[in-house]
Amino acid sequence: MTKTIFRYFFDFVEGQEQWLNEMAGKGYRLKNCGVCWYTFEQCQPGDFSYSVAFVADKSYREAKTYRQFLEQSGFRVLTKNINLNLSFGKLRWRPFAKGWGQLATLPGGYNKELFLVEKKHDGTPFVLHSDLAGQLLTVRAIRNASLWATLCLLGLFAMTFLPVLRAGVASSPWTFAGRLIAGGLGVIFALFAVRYTRLITELEEESKTLE
Amino acid sequence: MAENIVLTEAVYYILLSLKEPVHGYGIMQNVAQLTNNRVNLAAGTLYGALTALLEKGWISALPEADQSRRKEYQITDSGQAAVQKELERLRELLRNGEGIYGDD
Repeated sequence: MTKTIFRYFFDFVEGQEQWLNEMAGKGYRLKNCGVCWYTFEQCQPGDFSYSVAFVADKSYREAKTYRQFLEQSGFRVLTKNINLNLSFGKLRWRPFAKGWGQLATLPGGYNKELFLVEKKHDGTPFVLHSDLAGQLLTVRAIRNASLWATLCLLGLFAMTFLPVLRAGVASSPWTFAGRLIAGGLGVIFALFAVRYTRLITELEEESKTLE
Repeated sequence: MAENIVLTEAVYYILLSLKEPVHGYGIMQNVAQLTNNRVNLAAGTLYGALTALLEKGWISALPEADQSRRKEYQITDSGQAAVQKELERLRELLRNGEGIYGDD
């Protein structure tokens, strides 16, 4: 029996990971996922554990090699998006990539910003990074991506005021809606940037004495 | 090579595991066995270390027979030199530690 759940995680690493593990604990194994839905099949409760890897900052080739490595190490890997579909013609915006990689013109790594990695449960907690340095790299990548997203959304937010400033025309309801969405999302990602910056500080503090 | 280098625990054990050609999963098992499960290398950590070691030239990837086979790695001469230096450093650590706190 399969079960489909529609859901989107703004808290795409920790929140999503926790939820997948809760589902597995209740006996639902992730079978497939799409832009904002997940399909589960029944399994023995606690048979599988999940870890979410942030790979949006990796090039298409780097991500592919990493995925191969994980699969060859016995894990199952599904790709998952963070981006919702923001596209203009053939040009797609990927707020989470680095620099110019943000504008994607080929499918490549678009909508594959995350790996959902599944491991058959063996009694030990499932983490992808057992060292502080590796954890720091991951957390930094997420923080930088959140900062970029915040900046871009603020830019969009500001741009909605351009017509008002230049021509003095009142904003249409659509402009208001766009402004609200850009502003709201901007705040969400700003909060993530703050949270991950705190995490970075904690890990850096720890890495002064520990490896 | 820099004079004062300190290997991370992960890198140290990876290098020990690669005296013979081994694939990624084999390294994890080998390290767990060597340390009685004290050191469990996480996949991402191992991958990061292998990539960095390949770049440094301390290990090399063996040519793959075909795509489906697991990639195997082996230590190089410069990798062995690094292990030798590290062993010297570790002996010193142990000597000093035992000299000062060894009788407690």
